[in-house]
Amino acid sequence: MATLPLPDDSGPTMSKQMTPPPAVTIRGLSRSFGPVRALEDVSFDVPVGEVTALLGENGAGKSTLLKILAGLQPPSGGSVSFFDREVTAFSPNTMLTEHSVAIVPQELSLLLDRTVSENILAGVEPGNRLFPSQRAMVQRTIALLDELGLRIDPRMPVRELDMATQQLVVVARSIARGCRVLILDEPTAMLTPAESDRLFALMARLKAAGTTLVYVSHRMPEVFALADQIEVLRDGKHVASWRADETTPQRVVAAMVGRELSELTTRAQSGARPIPASGAVPAIEIKELSGTRHSSISFELHPGEILGVAGLPDSGRVELLQNIFGATKGTGGTVSLGGVPYANRTPSASIEAKLAFVPGERRAQGLLSTMSVGDNIGALTVRAFTRLGLIRRRAFDRGANERAQALRVKTATIDQPITNLSGGNQQKAMLGRWLAIDPQVLVLDEPTRGVDVGAKSEIYEQLFALAAEGVAILCSSSDLPELLTITDRIAVLSEGRLVGIVDTASATEESIMTLATGAVSTAA
Amino acid sequence: MTASTLSAPRARFDFRKLLHARESGVFAALVLLFILGTVLSPNFAQSGNLLSVGQQISQIGIMAIGATFVIVNGEIDLSVGSIYALAAVSTGMAIVAGMSWPVASLIGLAVGAFAGLLNGLAVVLLGVPSFIVTLGSLSVFRGVTLLISDGAPISLSAKLPGVTEFSLLGQGRLFGVVPMQLLIFAAVAAVGVILLSRSRLGFNTYAVGGNQEAARLVGINVKAVKLTAFVLSGLTAAIAGVLGLSFLSYVQGVTGTGLELTVISAVIIGGAALFGGSGTMWGTIIGVIFIGLLQNILNINGISSFWQTVVTGLVIVAAVAADTWQRKRKTKA
Repeated sequence: MATLPLPDDSGPTMSKQMTPPPAVTIRGLSRSFGPVRALEDVSFDVPVGEVTALLGENGAGKSTLLKILAGLQPPSGGSVSFFDREVTAFSPNTMLTEHSVAIVPQELSLLLDRTVSENILAGVEPGNRLFPSQRAMVQRTIALLDELGLRIDPRMPVRELDMATQQLVVVARSIARGCRVLILDEPTAMLTPAESDRLFALMARLKAAGTTLVYVSHRMPEVFALADQIEVLRDGKHVASWRADETTPQRVVAAMVGRELSELTTRAQSGARPIPASGAVPAIEIKELSGTRHSSISFELHPGEILGVAGLPDSGRVELLQNIFGATKGTGGTVSLGGVPYANRTPSASIEAKLAFVPGERRAQGLLSTMSVGDNIGALTVRAFTRLGLIRRRAFDRGANERAQALRVKTATIDQPITNLSGGNQQKAMLGRWLAIDPQVLVLDEPTRGVDVGAKSEIYEQLFALAAEGVAILCSSSDLPELLTITDRIAVLSEGRLVGIVDTASATEESIMTLATGAVSTAA
Repeated sequence: MTASTLSAPRARFDFRKLLHARESGVFAALVLLFILGTVLSPNFAQSGNLLSVGQQISQIGIMAIGATFVIVNGEIDLSVGSIYALAAVSTGMAIVAGMSWPVASLIGLAVGAFAGLLNGLAVVLLGVPSFIVTLGSLSVFRGVTLLISDGAPISLSAKLPGVTEFSLLGQGRLFGVVPMQLLIFAAVAAVGVILLSRSRLGFNTYAVGGNQEAARLVGINVKAVKLTAFVLSGLTAAIAGVLGLSFLSYVQGVTGTGLELTVISAVIIGGAALFGGSGTMWGTIIGVIFIGLLQNILNINGISSFWQTVVTGLVIVAAVAADTWQRKRKTKA
């Protein structure tokens, strides 16, 4: 490293090393919520012009740290500096205008009925602020999008864009405001591989232009492909810091969970896959099933088997599961459970028939959001515990409590609101809810979305245990490594059609993607 | 993984839980209001005065019990003032026509429940937001009331058979002390508390109000739950209407105009959120008592009824602001 003389005005706090000041300097940062310490004495630097990945399990303090950096929340103690200027007022506006820091949150905040260019330039319109010239705005937007290598129609209303493109618009909006530090909160959680690649290309471009990126993700391969620097939080403390090329995914995961995580045994390795006798009755058989965004889908699934469903987000995966369960009406085809035809499918008929469905959109479709953990877990036992219209509360609570413990739902009491739990524990509660009906067929969508590493492996183990008891499991996921870990076979959908069912043991991410993108079609 | 730290199933009675309950804030405000009333006027804390407050709040209270079901469902019923008049006029006309008072009263209740059913059907089957449906039916039921009574007031003269007995419902006092209306409110409230907090219908109501789609996916009949709430709301409005007729022996087409706002205010002050899924029957009961005491305090201190309207409005906003602030703190914690 070259040794240059320090400029005189560098101040006493500047390090003696001959590097430029870090983009972000975090010193002794703490944040308490009542007795809960969400962040405790966190200190690290984010180097300029690099991608820094911030990792940690749910509840590790990542969100709190990001919120402080974005000015959405003040810290209880410690300091944050951007380019050696300490932040004195924590507000999103100050962060952006004074420190050039912007965040791309998980829940995008766009004006859905305004155009792309109006969204990107809102507040920084060229020329007259009150009556900005549409033409000037569009031209300015085109120039900016060009620079970012994005091909988006500036006149398109944002509502008509898919989520991934909307996210890119948010990034462009930050850049239009001259942001030099961009914080991305789990940006790939909802994206397809192709969409993620588009985002990564944009990130690479921004990095090359000198923008500093701080990025949160649960996906290890992605982190190692993108990040220069890795910082790990656990239980509110900063526990590890590496250059990305000096560590391994295993060591990072170990730091996140605080212990060495044995590499999960996959179904293929464990040899747990059942071999149904010829002529055995499948637990569920689907023939020529059609409905919204899917048509003529047929497969069968035997007791104890785990069948994955892969496909791009618009492949009709979710709609297929909803049709099977009876959450939506199909347009044709049949479903049989244990050899018995199951027509007129509705949620309550499915519950009766021991067909369970854990939806993927936990917040929108799973959580009874104003109710307690116990009520959420026990929702399907209400009927059984009702005498003369009244719920036998004590017995009901005992049942819910037992199931919460069996699934290791971490909660102070089952009287807590469900929304107080972390994503992983909410998901365990959702699974626990459906185990109450003693399912013969368990249908899951995105079983570990927004779930941290530890809870993820617990959920996998639970699924394996259920399969061992003879439950037939149908599991859809956008997370291919997940499907490759937990399934016996994988049904691949492309544009609403079943393009193949592959044996997981011989499948790879590439082979599945090839099928899902319609590049090749093999017979089922 | 670390062992979970679940507590044993909750004990039947937990004092700390009582303090932390959502209603505790409103209850504290109610206690403060009571102290304030006592300090301001020596007449306030007299049993006679308090019992007459009990009399005054009964009809609003009964309606608020039904309205709580609708609001916890995430819906709203603006038509209860009109149903109140429709039921009262129906019962009054039936008595005048010579029917016995119990039959006439049942007719009034049936008319109210049916009006509620119509509201519910329009919401559930047509998918029109309940605000719009009941804004319309507020007008329709009022119009029907005026039509059937031909706009003329109905007076129950004591000479009509059964009117003396019927009047006891609204005017009578048990042992000459406790107003009958208050007892009826207590009975309706008791049923409401049990239904909402202990019954399967109550569970389903919270489930639907909190997340309709999730409720549907766990096999809850969302439409039936909503229909029931609107029927209960219509029925309780009718009970109040029949009591109102009994109390005054008089009703006309415009009786009960604007009652819906007082009813909804009581439920909101009691802690229910208009988004649905939250609120309790106890909260509503406290909210009703709060409004009654507030008006009484303003009354006995000679403050004009114009100011009462202003103060009630401010209290509603203050109550919800306090609740929002508390919730914000909670989510941060």
